[in-house]
Amino acid sequence: MASVMEIYQLLPKTNCKECGKSTCMAFAVDLLSRKLKVEDCLPLVREGKYKASYEKLSGMVTPVEDVTETGLIVHADKCIGCGNCVVACPVNVAADPMGAGSGKAPTCDRVILKVEDGVVKAANVQECRRFGENKILCVACIDTCPTKAIEFV
Amino acid sequence: MDNDNYVCTGCALLCDDIDVGLENGKVAKVHTACRKGFAFMKGCSNPLECTVDGKKTDVDSAIREAAEILRNAERPLIFGHANSSSGAQKRAIGIARKINGYIDDTSSFCQGPMVEAILEGKLKTCTLDDVRHKADVIVYWGADPANSHPRHMSRYSYFPRGKERQRGWEEDRTAICIDVRKSDTAEICGESGLYQIPVKGDVEFMDALVSALSGKIPKTSYDFDKKRLLELASILKKAKFGVIFAGLGMVYALDDREPLYRLMDKLNSVSNFHLIPMAGHYNMRGFNQILFEETGYINRVKFNGAEILHGPEYSVVEALRKKAVDAALVIGADPLTSLPRSVVRHLEEIPLITIDPCQTLTSVKAKVTIPCALVGVESGGTAVRMDGVEIGLKQIVETDRLSDEEVMIRISEAL
Amino acid sequence: MGFGQFLSAPEVKLRIVTYRDIFQDSAKVTSLFGEDYEKLSAIIKLDPKDLSKLAIKEGDTLMLKNGFGKVVVKAQNSGYEKPHTGTAYMVNSPWSNVLVPEDAGGTGVPEFKDFEVLASSAKGAKVTGIREII
Repeated sequence: MASVMEIYQLLPKTNCKECGKSTCMAFAVDLLSRKLKVEDCLPLVREGKYKASYEKLSGMVTPVEDVTETGLIVHADKCIGCGNCVVACPVNVAADPMGAGSGKAPTCDRVILKVEDGVVKAANVQECRRFGENKILCVACIDTCPTKAIEFV
Repeated sequence: MDNDNYVCTGCALLCDDIDVGLENGKVAKVHTACRKGFAFMKGCSNPLECTVDGKKTDVDSAIREAAEILRNAERPLIFGHANSSSGAQKRAIGIARKINGYIDDTSSFCQGPMVEAILEGKLKTCTLDDVRHKADVIVYWGADPANSHPRHMSRYSYFPRGKERQRGWEEDRTAICIDVRKSDTAEICGESGLYQIPVKGDVEFMDALVSALSGKIPKTSYDFDKKRLLELASILKKAKFGVIFAGLGMVYALDDREPLYRLMDKLNSVSNFHLIPMAGHYNMRGFNQILFEETGYINRVKFNGAEILHGPEYSVVEALRKKAVDAALVIGADPLTSLPRSVVRHLEEIPLITIDPCQTLTSVKAKVTIPCALVGVESGGTAVRMDGVEIGLKQIVETDRLSDEEVMIRISEAL
Repeated sequence: MGFGQFLSAPEVKLRIVTYRDIFQDSAKVTSLFGEDYEKLSAIIKLDPKDLSKLAIKEGDTLMLKNGFGKVVVKAQNSGYEKPHTGTAYMVNSPWSNVLVPEDAGGTGVPEFKDFEVLASSAKGAKVTGIREII
């Protein structure tokens, strides 16, 4: 996942305020949390000299269309369907110890992550440990992904 | 095996927990298979057609022509088999025997040395189920399952809970990666789990580990951090159930198996270690086991009456390089894709028969092409997983195409 | 202004190590003759220093040749943290197999994962197509 500094380095760093933010750093923070889009930086889109940075940023900060309520995004294009996250997810393990928790196909409907047509799909996201009153910063699915296909925003 | 589920023949893991959704008699939805398995089960976009000399024909004529080629050849080669059902493999060996042919499979330039050592009882091995239930130290050596066998780590070797590994991977298992680069698998093993060695540095690394395990100072010409080597030795020593997954990176770095034997012997004198070869294609190991039972050799065989010849000169690579064969039947492999261009040129100079569900680079050059069903989807049978366990395959959808075994039976009869 | 531009395309000797890639392998399963398979196969991953030595950028085409054959593939930055100048990575494919030495020393096992090539910029040239290889 990209960091604020990595994003900032690719911005014009002119603090022009065209995006409505007071500084490019503030823009970077909002871009990372997907409150803004890359295209909201007008000079980046408009001026040819930023073309390379624009392209790089677009690849780095993917749009949020598929973002779930917990902020979980699965980048299907990067996912290899290995199912590491399916087996590692503590909610999956608790809900389905003999299926998903044991490395096999999920055998119950309460799992959060499962693999369909070769890529991972999220469901029941309200059960995710990063959600609700007692939320914790669980990273089981991110750390076990070999291709960084899962991200939380 | 759960009776409601199907088996994926995308690689030698033969995952047997696959569910599918059908639409108009075709696989439309695939549950639980990885990206590669999904692509495999959906089938290719360019199916092979039945042809002789590039012209479409019926199966009967193509089989007659194939038998004619094999009958007229003095030194025919039957090659491939890694993506074939065990039934088709048995028939292929029968045909080779009948026509005094060469027979070899992809293990010849792949995992052959490891499978051979295991079948001859020279390397201690175990099943993937043992790994899931018991393994606490897992070594991926010159192997990158994240790319070659995507569900390896999730289904068996690292992440799943097993009978004696109930607390999850973080507490119960240690994953080690020994490789020349930081692969996707190495990313999962983390900074402390990756031991990055130079290309062809494997033998020295094995000997250094033996030294470290013997309480000596581990030395390498590339000056690998001795402290880290000693740390690794200590992890391996403490293993209750250790397993080494030997990838092609390791296989190709060994001129012979002695350094590996030394390491495995040492490991088993201080701890408990097993080795499983990372066979790629879904039934390569099956072919090796069948040929071994019939001839005592896993590959590289030439039949000569009652005599069975074996050696590197009967390998597909040497036989083609030396232009020793005068006709070839290729089934369940695509040598024009997987072998050096300079080696396979001879295949274009001799009558060539290809049997496959899909067009391949080899089929493009073939005089006779015979389509067969996609095993595990359009036809059933059995296959042998990378750890030697036989798995039953079920047909999922109907097809007009003959199964690979039926094609081989028909050719055998036509001979 | 780089010194490189005053020379005819500089040649760099590279040791090639091949590897597997699931995206490329899945593309092969779908179609060996497809665009995706070519795009994911006809590549070489280089150390950034070797990219500069060759006076090329990521995405430029590169001619690779040795005594066994030659192919034009696209150059990529490997992205590996650890420097690896002089060593480059190619995914196992018909493109890498053009360059794998024929002589297996009588063992029957070619050196798929360790061979040498001479690389030079092929700016503007098209990547070798699979039908040209066979």
